[in-house]
Amino acid sequence: MADVSKLTPGQKVLMQGNEAIARGALEAGVSLAAAYPGNPSSEILQTLADSARSAGIYVEWSTNEKVALESAAAASYAGLRGMASMKQNGVNVAQDFICNLTISGTKGGLVLVTCDDPSGVSSTNEQDARFIARVACLPLLEPATPAECLKMTKLAFELSEEIGNLVVLRGLARLSHTRAGVTPGPLPESKRQPHWDPKERWFTIPVVPRHQVMLDKLAQAGELMTAAGVNYYDGPVRPELLVIASGSSRLYADEARRLVKATERVGILHMGATWPLDQELILEHLARADKILFAEEVDPHLESGVKSIYAQHVRELGLKDFYGQETGHKPPTGELSPSRVAAALADILGLSWQEADPAYLAKAKAAQALVAPRQVGFCPGCPHRASYWSIKQVLSADGREGIVSGDIGCYTMGVLPTGYQRVNAVHCMGSGPGIASGLGKLRSQGFDQPVISVVGDSTFFHAALPALVNARWNNSDYVLVVLDNSATAMTGFQPHPGTGATAMGQAGTVVDVEQICAGLGLPYTVLDPYDLEATQEALYDALQIGGGLRVLIFRRACALVQNKQGGHPWRMSVDPELCRGEECGCDRFCTRVFRCPGLVFDQATGKTVLDEVVCVGCGVCAQICPAGAIKARPKEATA
Amino acid sequence: MVPPAASPALQPAGLERLLAEVINPGLCVACGACLGLCPHLIFLDGQVAAPDACGLTSGRCYGFCPLAQRDIPRESQGPIGPVLGAWQGRATAKDLEGRVQYGGVVSELLALALDQSMVREAVVTAAGLRGTPQGIRVTERTGVLGAAGSVYAGGGALSSLNQALAEDSKHPLAVVGLPCQVQAVQAMKAHPQQPQAAQRIHLVIGLFCTMNLPWRGLRGLLARHGVQAPLSRADFPPPPAGIFQAWSNGGYHELPLDQVRALSYPGCAGCPDLTSEGADLSVGACEGKPGWNTILARTHAGAGLLELAAGKGLLELEPTQPASMEHLTQAASAKRKRAAAWSEERRHG
Repeated sequence: MADVSKLTPGQKVLMQGNEAIARGALEAGVSLAAAYPGNPSSEILQTLADSARSAGIYVEWSTNEKVALESAAAASYAGLRGMASMKQNGVNVAQDFICNLTISGTKGGLVLVTCDDPSGVSSTNEQDARFIARVACLPLLEPATPAECLKMTKLAFELSEEIGNLVVLRGLARLSHTRAGVTPGPLPESKRQPHWDPKERWFTIPVVPRHQVMLDKLAQAGELMTAAGVNYYDGPVRPELLVIASGSSRLYADEARRLVKATERVGILHMGATWPLDQELILEHLARADKILFAEEVDPHLESGVKSIYAQHVRELGLKDFYGQETGHKPPTGELSPSRVAAALADILGLSWQEADPAYLAKAKAAQALVAPRQVGFCPGCPHRASYWSIKQVLSADGREGIVSGDIGCYTMGVLPTGYQRVNAVHCMGSGPGIASGLGKLRSQGFDQPVISVVGDSTFFHAALPALVNARWNNSDYVLVVLDNSATAMTGFQPHPGTGATAMGQAGTVVDVEQICAGLGLPYTVLDPYDLEATQEALYDALQIGGGLRVLIFRRACALVQNKQGGHPWRMSVDPELCRGEECGCDRFCTRVFRCPGLVFDQATGKTVLDEVVCVGCGVCAQICPAGAIKARPKEATA
Repeated sequence: MVPPAASPALQPAGLERLLAEVINPGLCVACGACLGLCPHLIFLDGQVAAPDACGLTSGRCYGFCPLAQRDIPRESQGPIGPVLGAWQGRATAKDLEGRVQYGGVVSELLALALDQSMVREAVVTAAGLRGTPQGIRVTERTGVLGAAGSVYAGGGALSSLNQALAEDSKHPLAVVGLPCQVQAVQAMKAHPQQPQAAQRIHLVIGLFCTMNLPWRGLRGLLARHGVQAPLSRADFPPPPAGIFQAWSNGGYHELPLDQVRALSYPGCAGCPDLTSEGADLSVGACEGKPGWNTILARTHAGAGLLELAAGKGLLELEPTQPASMEHLTQAASAKRKRAAAWSEERRHG
């Protein structure tokens, strides 16, 4: 990412939403920023990391989101400003700390950025993390544009410091990655000296009075956010339909009213501050319109909040028609879009509207049929493909209906055909070994299926350790397979404790998976998943042993990391004379079953051919070809 | 020998049917006839498995499987099948003592066939590095002796035969197998998609067999009795011994017969063949004469090899004792009846 500390104040530049949040944090004088990588939030911390040296701040990838927020809180207690950024799932990880932090309070400005992922484009869920504002009584800001990302991030720090509590900024996937004009402001000229006054103590007791303090802070935040002018109305004085919107949905609503040609009939109440809700502003606008539509992603946060305010004032406001999730005008799942909002507007206003010319749509549909269907899959040369291949083969040979408890990372795709659908359950970071631990304790009640937990190297450090300690402590019986690809690959190759690298590029201390296993008293074996025979033999043996937790470390760098480090060792080729194609019981084994995208079945010749552009030369397919048709030769020898 | 679960005429005879009728019901006896033909069937630790759907509706895997399609031999052949001559004998060579099963006749005959270039390669069963029985291909006496002795566990040895037949070679082959494996070899020779089997398999030496054991179960039982694999040899001594004998690096061990018998492949219960009726030569223990084999020459090729071995002084041969042959016939007949009853029970549920 770019070093955003070097931008010229006042000079408009094109910035991603995430970059703008990072710049906003720098302008607010953030001193410590921490995060655990997770799309769509990852660029915030990477941008800060790449700006950290010139800005003179500390930035780290932490082991998980809770630790990240705790580190940022430490800066707050030392009188500095701190920020933790995460995806929506991370808010759950940090929640326990958040719900206590909000009672103990903060000193220096402390901001939590959550980047939600409606439709779960790069997530296991599409959770709306705004719940945390209600649960923990925290002020919540929702920008709609990169320029607002910058502005509201600065506001969030000021607000936090003013009220003495954490402030939440909610981004969305589209906002995180969209680019628009942003005019940076100046960076702070002076730095604070960190110091924790020993007389200052931060804890949650006595709970009840402190709980009241927390509520008072929230009320104060409401007044400050109203004064900051982040909520505003745009439209006719007395609109026929009032849209109350937040985040990207504000832009969708604006576009939608133009699409249906109803700009004179529809007004938009832009809610930049969505918790606590500005009751006075909402009542003012409810009084001017009889029909109200909510536009927001994902949960009906505004909808329920506004209806609650309305319920208290129904006598003075009279009857209103509300449209939103409950009436089907806002989908309960998935991303919103201009067309979805336009369809709602058209329905409510009795307009005829169609997304596009039917003739165009018909052509688009026909064109769509020409596009070859593609499945999400592991990259060519991905060690996870080889790992799952071995797991599949061994569990089949074992014959006891073994279960694979999955986890979060690229290898989550073990649930898909690319991983031979060999994963039975996936939930959240670290839940794989936890579930495996439970299964491994059902032996005495007759559960006789072998259990494998697969966990990536970054996930191992993030949340697997407590589950492993639990399994070790309680003598649970399963095999842990650490899929160590030496990177937090799925989120963009961020370093983790096992790599020893840090966010700011300085060498950290390598935290060794083997040493952790040894410290826990767990037997472990390190294997190269590219070596199918040795991997399968070791996995099979590990399954047969039983009696406790044992660890196999499948270590092979992510294919993309290997490419950056000089590539794979082999140059592959397919001998058409030896390839059996569809005959002799093979039935396109490599392209139909193994399914590496580097191998293609040539319909014309009835043989497999190598896609030399795609193939990286990992050599694994040569081990699965029954005819020896796929050859692997050292690259040096063929160069 | 095992009737198909549903009407065979309507079902394609491929991997799916093999799975449905043999492998999934746990009837596979690990003969290896389906292995080495394609990548879909794998063999690990003594067990056949199919991790993926093969996608083809027919395949040799089903066509070769002795569990999938055998008819009970006609009674007119007699319970021990066709016999040109019956003998009891033993090898004379001293280097075989303690390494071979009974009289060492199989090892000596096979070594001779290789030595005389009757065949250039032989498929036999031997313990792998970790003790798991597996098929190996040998080309000379040393290799034969390395595989001498039985551990009574399925090793999928015909996988090696399939691999040999898949190669672009024409040299003649020999195979040593249990009755189920001999049945499979007969099916291979008759299969239209495997013409090289009839052309290249010149010698089949069959063993007498009452039952075989799955390696995983045997290994587990051995471990429970403190015996570590690999075994060099094992034996079921005749009644009333009531034991299973096992020799390993740790010495000689005895296991209770009932515990071992309980392990045997369920599929063995349906086998009607005690003496490998389709072989060129069948060899087994000789009742009442420890250290000797009973030998049944069934074809002229088999009889010729036996005659050559005797002529060279490699084997010491005697005519079989009538009582011994009578007992063998009774045992073979009883096995047929048990198999018929088992098949009948399965047929009618």
